[in-house]
Amino acid sequence: MSYFIARRLAGFLLTLWAVSVVVFAVMNVLPGDPALTILGIDSTEEARAALRARLGLDQPVVLRYLDWVAGALRGDFGTSFSFGVPVSGLIGERLPLTFSLALSGMVVTVILALVLGITAAARHGRPGDWGIMLLSQMGIAIPAFWLSMLLVLLFAVRLRWLPPGGFPGWGDPIAALRSLVLPTAALALVQSAVLARVTRSAALEVMRLDFVRTARASGFGSRHVLWRHVLPNALVPIVTIVGLQFAGLVTGTIVIENVFYLPGLGRLLFQSIANRDLITVQALVMLFATLVVTANFLVDIAYVIIDPRLRGARG
Amino acid sequence: MIEVEGLSITSAAGPILRDVRLHVAAGERLGVVGESGSGKTLLAMSLMGMVPDGLHVTGSIRIDGAEMGGADEAAWRRLRARRVAMIFQEPMSALNPLRRVGDTVAEPLIRHLGLSPRAARDKALALFEETGILGPERRLSQYPHQLSGGQRQRVLIALALACDPELLIADEPTTALDANVALRITRLLVRLARERRMGLLFISHDLAAVSRTTERLMVMYGGDVVETGATAEVLRAPAHPYTVGLLAARPSLAAHGKRRLPTIPGSVPPPQELPRGCRFSGRCGQEIARCADERPQPVATAPGSWAACHLLRARAKGAGA
Amino acid sequence: MRERRLSPNLIIGAVLVALVCGVALLSVVWTPHPYAVIDVGGKFAPASAEHWLGTDQLGRDLVSQLMVAAGNSMMVALLAVGVGCVLGTAFGLLAAARGGWTEEAIMRVSDLGFAFPALLFAIMLAAAYGPSLSVVVVAIAFINIPIFARVSRAAANQVWHREYVYAARAAGMGRFAISRDHILPNIAAPVIVQATIEFAVSILTEAALSYLGLGAQPPAPSWGRMLSEAQTLMYLAPQLAIWPGLCIFTAVLGFGLLGDGLRDMTDPRLIRERRA
Ligand SMILES: Nc1ncnc2c1ncn2[C@@H]1O[C@H](COP(=O)(O)OP(=O)(O)OP(=O)(O)O)[C@@H](O)[C@H]1O
Ligand code: SF4
Ligand SMILES: [Mg+2]
Repeated sequence: MSYFIARRLAGFLLTLWAVSVVVFAVMNVLPGDPALTILGIDSTEEARAALRARLGLDQPVVLRYLDWVAGALRGDFGTSFSFGVPVSGLIGERLPLTFSLALSGMVVTVILALVLGITAAARHGRPGDWGIMLLSQMGIAIPAFWLSMLLVLLFAVRLRWLPPGGFPGWGDPIAALRSLVLPTAALALVQSAVLARVTRSAALEVMRLDFVRTARASGFGSRHVLWRHVLPNALVPIVTIVGLQFAGLVTGTIVIENVFYLPGLGRLLFQSIANRDLITVQALVMLFATLVVTANFLVDIAYVIIDPRLRGARG
Repeated sequence: MIEVEGLSITSAAGPILRDVRLHVAAGERLGVVGESGSGKTLLAMSLMGMVPDGLHVTGSIRIDGAEMGGADEAAWRRLRARRVAMIFQEPMSALNPLRRVGDTVAEPLIRHLGLSPRAARDKALALFEETGILGPERRLSQYPHQLSGGQRQRVLIALALACDPELLIADEPTTALDANVALRITRLLVRLARERRMGLLFISHDLAAVSRTTERLMVMYGGDVVETGATAEVLRAPAHPYTVGLLAARPSLAAHGKRRLPTIPGSVPPPQELPRGCRFSGRCGQEIARCADERPQPVATAPGSWAACHLLRARAKGAGA
Repeated sequence: MRERRLSPNLIIGAVLVALVCGVALLSVVWTPHPYAVIDVGGKFAPASAEHWLGTDQLGRDLVSQLMVAAGNSMMVALLAVGVGCVLGTAFGLLAAARGGWTEEAIMRVSDLGFAFPALLFAIMLAAAYGPSLSVVVVAIAFINIPIFARVSRAAANQVWHREYVYAARAAGMGRFAISRDHILPNIAAPVIVQATIEFAVSILTEAALSYLGLGAQPPAPSWGRMLSEAQTLMYLAPQLAIWPGLCIFTAVLGFGLLGDGLRDMTDPRLIRERRA
């Protein structure tokens, strides 16, 4: 077991390293002169040279990379060009909002998907199954940002139940939560569409296995059999998809924050792009990619927790 | 006590179980034999109320006097495990792989009998001891993949016994096991039926296993019961041509390796291709004109024994005249 | 005999795809109005015989814009998925043909691709090189390479164990020739299924990027950008927020259903299930 985890850990660290190289290369090496990108083509050569010196761009690439990595490991991503404050401070400020949105989106997604998927499997081949699969097919095809706009049109513009966007800050928790309702719904409805299908087909696969018959023969009701016997055995493919969907959740959060004008990391990313603040963009892209890679690593570990057969076998 | 009368199961392709009649009293051990596809599992499932969707069940199933023919799922659920329990052929896959076997056995104790987790664990341990599981204490916290086939089958038996059922159905419990282990499992089943005064419905391909496990025997072919009687009698003097063929096909130690085993030619046809009359016609070898279209009625062959074959009726008449 | 019934998924998907592609092709030669002609006097016109779906905030004909946007969207998807599919499949075939460390290396590198969701990769590229549709194409193509490499390698590895491949090897055929003549035709089905599904994903990604301002730049019409413009006018002209979204939905649904239908038709495991 520890060998298995150690191998995964090594692969995880290697991937992170490779990701950092790609991010750094794309942002620093390939585009040519970052000073030009930041200051624009109207800038004077002196201004660009001064900026290059200030950003350390006159150093060799490898040194700059090592500097960046060393800084990042200490939590220092440099100073934002446009805000003039440390990037880590900017991230720290906006992280709680993004984290809340992603977490609530994830939780609602999983609950919704499990309920719909298991319900569909239990009604396999009957109208309930058809209806749920049709809904999920539609959910997969709807762009999250358009669904957000439709939700805003209905609940904010027409009914005026919820705010159309913006974030009042955590000072007023009720107002803060209210402004997260529509973003969470948009995120979760789209994400759960795929997961519900996976849950359904995984559950159907498990329902054919002999131990399900044993559980029924033990006099348990179909709901108990589904949730306590079938679902745990269907979790491996479900967790795999949750892990893969984490990427979708991260990008979904970036998009949704921009739709609802929520001042989180996704919004910061776009402000930084607009301001040509490459240092901040680079830090944020690295952060998001790290989250995705970490999620995939955790999924690998989760397998071992879910399935006792993997514990012994891989030693 | 279970009594079945006129039990039939029909699929879209035609009848797959016809007019089955049986009874098992407390402590009685009834065997069911027949080739693959003769409807043994379906019979067992109908006694659990677990016939697959899409099949139509008619007839009377009385369990402890309660009529279960046409009962709904909720009524059946109250009977399962508590009155009628079942173990299956595949001990490999019949246990939830993600659960410790102790928890699997404790689950019905907690949910059906309302035991506390601690009491359920103690009862599970006692069941493990009763079913002869080696190192029962340690086994409780192991997973199915850590157990051998024989041990797993014992766990399944312990699970089936958890709520003290009056009837235990064992559907080919030894088929997946090697001969030695199979022998011990059948001995265990006999002992449990005796000690608990529990009925046992023992389904098997293996005539040797049936002969050492059961008192009475039912031979099935193509969804019909073709012969029934005391196990020893039926095996000693089979009356139905199918039973004769089945016995001749049995690998006996004496014959082993010396001559080719005679077998019944062909195999059980799928339900839609079975003849309307005697299900065995077409493969029988002794058939007469009416066999294919007219269903033979049971003819008593000894007290409590009968077989359904046109030849017997003809013979009985011939003897009487 | 394999049973090949056409599923409703397949039929509905094929009809929607044909519709979207037909409109996209038509937009090249004909639109009801020139899509970019501004007529401030006639802005926010309601639907009429003249303007079937009305006009936008600059008085441009909505139908014409939606049609040209369909063309742009299909073009992006075709280029991006095409390039990703060809390169990815080539890598997958190579991995399966060579095995050993070549296969290991190709698969490790493509694992890396899964660390970057297409949208994040495109955001990174757009930040470094400036936003444009070509950046979108490159980003989606890049992210598609590992996806196709995986699919084609898995399929190819199975084909390499078939008897006729052993026969071809025994007959002295080279690995390249076998890959071309025997492996490729036999992995076409899963690759095409994947391409259809990636087409749907690509349409969604392009729409999201254009919505965020990183894709199509004005005046090139794009469903995503039309939606972002409509968002600021939501109280004024909510209808503008409906049609482009419906177009994206239709196109994505069509390719998604078609992909599912094709997979159900070609996946031998599902065929067995359906017959059982
Ligand atoms: N769900 C079903 N729908 C239609 N026919 C079925 C169904 N289940 C079983 N059958 C048919 O019923 C017949 C009896 O099946 P059953 O499984 O009871 O046989 P069996 O005697 O237990 O055989 P085996 O020794 O192989 O276990 C078979 O011909 C089978 O094709
Ligand atoms: S009834 Fe006819 S076919 Fe059936 S077993 Fe008797 S002789 Fe054979
Ligand atoms: Mg059976």
